[in-house]
Amino acid sequence: MGENNGDDLAHRVLSDIKAPSDLGLLRCVQCGLCTSVCPASRHSDYDARNIIKRVLDNDESIIEDEIIWNCFYCYTCYSVCPVGNSVCIVNQIIRQMAIEEDVGKRKIESFMSFADSYIEEGLGVIPKEYHGQLHIDYGKHWTNLQEQLQDVRKDLGLDDMYLLPEAKETVDKTLEAIGFKKRVKEVKKVRDRMDEVE
Amino acid sequence: MEKIDKFIPTENITLFRSCLVSAEYPGVEASTKYVFDKLGVEYVIDRNQSCCTGLGHYYDIFDELSTTALAARNFSYAIKNNHRQYVPMCATCYAILKTSAKILNEKDDVREEINKAFIENGLEDFQYTKGDIDPRDNITHVVDVLYYLKDKIPEHKKVDISGLKIATHHGCHYCKVHYDDTLCGYRNPEIIDKICEVMDAPALKWYDQKPRHCGGGFRQRYSNRELSLDATVDKFLSLHKEKIDVLLVMCPNCQLQFDRYEQVLEEKTGDKHYFAVLNIAQLVALYMGADPYKVLGIQTHTVNLEPILDKLNIDYDPEEDTLHVRN
Repeated sequence: MGENNGDDLAHRVLSDIKAPSDLGLLRCVQCGLCTSVCPASRHSDYDARNIIKRVLDNDESIIEDEIIWNCFYCYTCYSVCPVGNSVCIVNQIIRQMAIEEDVGKRKIESFMSFADSYIEEGLGVIPKEYHGQLHIDYGKHWTNLQEQLQDVRKDLGLDDMYLLPEAKETVDKTLEAIGFKKRVKEVKKVRDRMDEVE
Repeated sequence: MEKIDKFIPTENITLFRSCLVSAEYPGVEASTKYVFDKLGVEYVIDRNQSCCTGLGHYYDIFDELSTTALAARNFSYAIKNNHRQYVPMCATCYAILKTSAKILNEKDDVREEINKAFIENGLEDFQYTKGDIDPRDNITHVVDVLYYLKDKIPEHKKVDISGLKIATHHGCHYCKVHYDDTLCGYRNPEIIDKICEVMDAPALKWYDQKPRHCGGGFRQRYSNRELSLDATVDKFLSLHKEKIDVLLVMCPNCQLQFDRYEQVLEEKTGDKHYFAVLNIAQLVALYMGADPYKVLGIQTHTVNLEPILDKLNIDYDPEEDTLHVRN
């Protein structure tokens, strides 16, 4: 590991927009409390403590490693860490590094209907790409709910769930201005290439 | 009551809408409004507000800069409307908004980049000034407000719910993301339990796996279904062992995991025991006499609530539910 030279993996993580200023990454003593409470560590080959070890060892191969995609983002590791480190946050940062490359874009392309909905409506949805399995798991009741949602909301005396037209417009402009739409296009390009190969 | 060292609002509130509440459990919103109205809480709902991005953020499709810019846009409406107290119904909205406010206050370069993008694109009104929103005092969860006003809840009692065996499940993104702001503990969370106590319906003091997540895990539920369900099973079996009637939650994501998947989890484990899944606002509304279909919106739950209504001797007309398939 580089001597605090600022460009090793740990320091790149610490300087990321997602890293809180008091993130205790460099204070990790590898006690393993994170692993002991982590759902991914309990049920898969993911090992929260090892994620941090590899980052501190400047092991760049972690960015392309499938295993980072198993974190649940539940922050339970953070809630027990004695030095204020968060494997969960570190993991989010590593995934964003992966998304800068094709390897990460391929992992998120199946969630792009959420982005499409957000761009169109300013509102997230359960990703349509997975609706097939969800209709099986949730049954006919859920299908009925999808069809009758607006009537149900009316019966509950609720206001329209969609944004006002002018609000949708400024959400759209914000997404363009901040570069989100460009990001979506880049992910979709990778998705289209994957489709071609198939 | 234990000392509360964050500000809990009862007025000037923007009830922050949640995409999952809106589309999956709209009765949570109706119940929150019902309970707030009874307790005299002053709030507005603003259709200029966009979704917090939370689910997309944690599917990793939203980058932090985009999420933060959208939060700045939302904050500007709350401030302009003189309702700058953001009170979300969802634990993830709560955590996302707090994180965004912290970034906007503390990371000057990010705030400047976002403001520059606003100015260059005719969105000057959305500019954020350092300190506009205090992440601790201006962003509180619905349960914080209910906890703060809990001693007033029994004044509105209409239904005896003391016969219910309740377990509580506290949202990870309420308890663990900004744990310094969490009331009543984050490693052994008890805020919902305290609200149950005033309704004479004490929750289980402890059950195995109590502080653990629901297993939803954002992308895991969809792209890693077995891993997600394996994690849910841990708590699911523990709840079966306790023979509870109701699992009380405070986040629509957890609600979805335990309610929509109950049948799947029973098949996976071969373990059967009926329990309903309710948001705390729905239970308080029920206790205050709210209509199960017109306020709680129980017809949108996968697991029928009618057995609970029977147990509490509450009258209802099952014909009001047009969503469940009857045999």
